[in-house]
Amino acid sequence: MKLINESSKTKIVNNLMVGILALYGISQKRFDLNETTMFHQLVTEVISPIQEGLANSKKSLSFLWENYLLIVNTSKENNVLKKQISRLESDLMTMEEVRKENLRLKRLLSYSDEMSHQRVMAQVVGWDSANEFKVIRLNKGKNHGIKVMAPVITDHGLVGYVYRVTDNYADVLTILDQNNRVDVMIERTRTHGIVEGVFNFKCALKYIMRNEPVEVGDKLITAGVGGIYPKGVKVGMITDITKENFGMTLSIEVIPSVDFDKLEEVLVLIPSEVAQVTLPALVPTLVPITEKKL
Amino acid sequence: MRMRFSQLFLAFVITLALLIGLEIVTSTVLPALGWKEYRLTFNVLIILFLAIRMDSPLVPWLILALQMVHSIFSIEGWALGTLAGLIVMMSANFLKEVLHLTTAFMTMITVQLFQIIWYVTVTLVICLKISDFDKFGMILWSFIPGSILLSLISPVLFWMLGLIWRVPSEGGPRGVEI
Repeated sequence: MKLINESSKTKIVNNLMVGILALYGISQKRFDLNETTMFHQLVTEVISPIQEGLANSKKSLSFLWENYLLIVNTSKENNVLKKQISRLESDLMTMEEVRKENLRLKRLLSYSDEMSHQRVMAQVVGWDSANEFKVIRLNKGKNHGIKVMAPVITDHGLVGYVYRVTDNYADVLTILDQNNRVDVMIERTRTHGIVEGVFNFKCALKYIMRNEPVEVGDKLITAGVGGIYPKGVKVGMITDITKENFGMTLSIEVIPSVDFDKLEEVLVLIPSEVAQVTLPALVPTLVPITEKKL
Repeated sequence: MRMRFSQLFLAFVITLALLIGLEIVTSTVLPALGWKEYRLTFNVLIILFLAIRMDSPLVPWLILALQMVHSIFSIEGWALGTLAGLIVMMSANFLKEVLHLTTAFMTMITVQLFQIIWYVTVTLVICLKISDFDKFGMILWSFIPGSILLSLISPVLFWMLGLIWRVPSEGGPRGVEI
């Protein structure tokens, strides 16, 4: 009896200690920004190369699946012929992939040329393993100049911002996540609103008054307010507007411009230090002409 | 049945390796194959095994350690899942007389029920943190498809974990004492 009591006592103490730790952790937790701990830095740097390797071998894996594993039971002759065809197709596919990648990267680079930011191109190597968060992991980190809160884009539009960063990897909170709120503008009417992630890879546009002349098909761009995203980046398109019988605002559904299903490469924008340095030089030109020494 | 510390340590290391492997599958392999919308949260399944099938004062610390590793793969962090794991473990303790995981079907049903407790806890805390209870239904609903799949997988994973942690196969609710 005494033994049972002792054991129960230990269990209660352990439960209490871990419970208090968990509650403290929850109270400190932020879903919009995160400091990287030593533990996180170390384990991420060890594990993420495996993720990167697997992400890179995606094409080979799906090719192997489609072209080899599914034809195991065909005749030998067929196998030889199909292997030849597969090898040729593989070569062709590799060339086609290189061509497509080239096109994508060219588009990405020319798109971001217009912005006064340094650019770091990165590859998506993983997604958040929890259901409720829409976060992607990139194969570039502090060593490549990436900083927390840096905006992330593609040639199609806004992806999100850097949530946490280690030496060689960065996690990006995408606009699909409910914790990411983007200040946007409807391109046609210049009306401001907030885009939030909802469900099914869709977003919601909030705080648009009922009397605003918004229409299905209207395009959304970043408003440049809030200091994270540059102004004018494509965010998405309005696909559904619901006017409820109550409330002052509209319920608006938005499809992001970026196809997150096919997201492979992204650009991380880092505010250019050169642009910041040259800014003070412009100040004297604002001095009234009457105060200028002639 | 008692486990020596070395056996416990080995079982824990193997479980940790299994968790890392499964997290990589969820976060990289499945999205690479086009499965991006729903996640299979294997950490929940492993913690459910520890919470339901083990009877040890160390289980809360094991849950904490597993959640720390999970936080590498998710911005969810360690604290939310640790709290949910503790609540599940206490519920399992409370219900230990009626829990008999003797068949695969019973395991699936039990796992589904405890997953619901887990996800309600997590969703409540998230809604509290973001101060938006309108999203409660939406967040909870996002868990459901993945949780059903996890319940279907659970007999196999519980069998594997039973071998690792030396829990008797007859499915008694309290297999191991440390």
